[in-house]
Amino acid sequence: MIELTNVTKRYGPKAAVKDLSLSVPAGELFAFLGPNGAGKTTTIKMLCGLLFPTTGTVRVGGFDLVTEGDQARALISYVPDQPFLYDKLTGREFLQFTTDLYGMPAAKARVKIAEVVELFHLDDFVDDLTERYSHGMRQRTVFAAALVHEPKLLIADEPTVGLDPKSVRELKGLLRRLAAGGTTVFLSTHTLDIAEELADRIGIIDHGRLLGCGTLAELQTHAAVDGNLEDLFMAITEEAGRETAASRTP
Amino acid sequence: MSTATQPAAFRRLRVRLARNGLRVALEAGRVRFLSVIFSTLVVSGFAFGFSLYLFGQLTANAIPFKGAIVGFLFDLLFFTLGSMLVVSTGVILYASLYTSPEARYLLSTPARADYVFATRFQGAVAFSSWAFVALGVPIFLAYGVSAGVPWWFYALLPAFLLGYVLLPGSVSALGCVLLVRFMPRNRKQFALGVGAAAVVLLGVWGYRAYWAARHTLVNQGGELETLIGRFELVRSSVAPSHWMTRGVLAAARGEAADALVQLALVWSNGLVLYLLAAAAAKRLYRPGYDRQAGGGRGKKVYRDSVLDRVMGLLVFYLDRPTRVLVVKDFRTFRRDPTQWALLILFGTLMLVGAGNFRSYMSADLAVMDKYAVSLMNLGGTAVLLCAGLSRFVFPLVSLEGRKFWILGLTPVSRDTILWGKFAFAATGSVIIAEGLVLTSDLFLGVPAQLLGLHAAALAVVALGLSGLNVGLGAVMPNFRETDPSKVVVGFGGTVNMVAGLGFLLAVIGLMVVPFHGAQFGRPLRGADAAVSWWVYAGVPAALALGVLAVVLPLRAGARALRGVEF
Repeated sequence: MIELTNVTKRYGPKAAVKDLSLSVPAGELFAFLGPNGAGKTTTIKMLCGLLFPTTGTVRVGGFDLVTEGDQARALISYVPDQPFLYDKLTGREFLQFTTDLYGMPAAKARVKIAEVVELFHLDDFVDDLTERYSHGMRQRTVFAAALVHEPKLLIADEPTVGLDPKSVRELKGLLRRLAAGGTTVFLSTHTLDIAEELADRIGIIDHGRLLGCGTLAELQTHAAVDGNLEDLFMAITEEAGRETAASRTP
Repeated sequence: MSTATQPAAFRRLRVRLARNGLRVALEAGRVRFLSVIFSTLVVSGFAFGFSLYLFGQLTANAIPFKGAIVGFLFDLLFFTLGSMLVVSTGVILYASLYTSPEARYLLSTPARADYVFATRFQGAVAFSSWAFVALGVPIFLAYGVSAGVPWWFYALLPAFLLGYVLLPGSVSALGCVLLVRFMPRNRKQFALGVGAAAVVLLGVWGYRAYWAARHTLVNQGGELETLIGRFELVRSSVAPSHWMTRGVLAAARGEAADALVQLALVWSNGLVLYLLAAAAAKRLYRPGYDRQAGGGRGKKVYRDSVLDRVMGLLVFYLDRPTRVLVVKDFRTFRRDPTQWALLILFGTLMLVGAGNFRSYMSADLAVMDKYAVSLMNLGGTAVLLCAGLSRFVFPLVSLEGRKFWILGLTPVSRDTILWGKFAFAATGSVIIAEGLVLTSDLFLGVPAQLLGLHAAALAVVALGLSGLNVGLGAVMPNFRETDPSKVVVGFGGTVNMVAGLGFLLAVIGLMVVPFHGAQFGRPLRGADAAVSWWVYAGVPAALALGVLAVVLPLRAGARALRGVEF
């Protein structure tokens, strides 16, 4: 589903992502971890076609994001860390706009909108203007819009920020069900517990480089660390930090 | 997946946003909503009345070459407004296409780049042109009334104005898309190069206009033709501003065919330019977005600037915490290109207004002309000051937004915060306005008493407008909005603008107009008239008005700020 091949992204002299190669098959829940400024959001934006790689190729569903961007984006839903809603639209109108954008036939759109309204418990407020929504209501509406057009790939950047424990639990269940149903989920998060609990595979990035990629067990073997994901994450990123510092020392 | 439904989707989006926005405005209070409409009508009414008076004077006094003068003025008006539209549309469109959360959302969907561009373009043009339409319509209506035009002149006016709005908007959009995609990485060098070229061109044109103006008198046609000819750029047959003038004047004369030809010229060129811009956006918008997101040559390091230190020195009279707040406001202002680009535009307009080409020819000017020109300079500068303060100062409190709690938790009172913003606004506006008008008056050779009156009047206007804008900005803030241009067009911004215009008219009318009026009554080319004490009779009232304009809004604003919860 996702193929990144030798992808580098430069901002002037600085490389935010360096020679990243990554493959995520359909139906996998992949967690993408890294410290702040590691290159996670840059990678995600290249997956959505918001940014173009300086070198290398990014493919989703077989479509190159640079040359076949519209076809690739038809398969993708992106939920950023600060999701956008039109303040002067109701939740229902936003869902309708989304189905229109993705070219869904009207009859199917009506059915899917009713489904996601029920799934995300939007009934009480879906006909209110979104400017009056709380953070949790906004998050649920955005997820509803992300799933209403049945994407093949869901990209979520820090989806649990600002959610109460009940909502976090519901979100985890949703992500599991989506992956089980064949939707690829690409999840970027700082919350290691969620990644450890949900992910089929985990990728750890720092300073633009993919430091490790695999199941939790594979990463433990690779890093020769027995502990939980937090211990693993610290070990891998600190090791990489020491190597980077050593390479800079004359 | 077909993109055929997308145009309809965007149309429905715009309709829903407009409908819901109107419903919210009415629900928030019909009185408030109607006040905005009423305030806009007041401004339009003022423009209509003033224009009707001026056009009437041209006819009543049998001014020679009236037709040429009206044509010239229309050319200048359309050219100036068109140039302002290019800049303002560009600024709004840049933010809308490249930095807004909505752009990021739409570009991550399968929405076609040209459809996203089209919907943002319509919003930007509508937003930047409402003032042009609100002021342009009354001016041309006034012309129609004074010139006795056929009924269909009025029917064609909206078509002309809307067609003309499309043209500079499309030029701006095309420029914006191309610049973002292809601008050199070293933006500073590029901007300096473009700025230097513009200064050289302006200097050459200004020098030629200066020498033409030197030999011009109103009642000598040859020189007038030469003078008007110096503005060949705005009167060229390829200048859209000139098509507009020719079309509007042809319609006024009842020459339907001519009028429609010019109308077709305006619309056809506007539509072609729009199509070019949309085609460019289809290919270049996404790569430009990627390029813009990547920044310039590399990581920009923001340091302390000598400008910040100068600002701090200018407000030396304030205590340290307030001084720090003023410098903070100045620093955030100068780091926002969308703010200072518009400030440069306002500054240029003020410079053109106050540096009127006839200002420097004191030896050739009749007494009446000298006083008329200096009054025009003062009035024009004051109006632009009012508009500038409304645009840049009124939103200051609103722009603190939800981050206000940061200031609110500091050991600095909210009153101090407000006074800091007042000091920031007052310092800049007094220095700029006084510098421009007094320099122009010195060149004109006006008497010392008038110089003093002008200085006092401008100080009162600048301080009063600063107090009004800061105070009303705190009384009627909009903390949800992050775009200052949208804060200004809300209910509070409109009330503030109308109050400001009324205030400056009152001050200028009380302090300055009596002195000028006493001179207008003298014969042409006579010596300066002696003035009696009554010309100063309005000064105390104007000073009192100025004090009220500072104290009352700031008190109300401070009270409002103290009660705000976050």
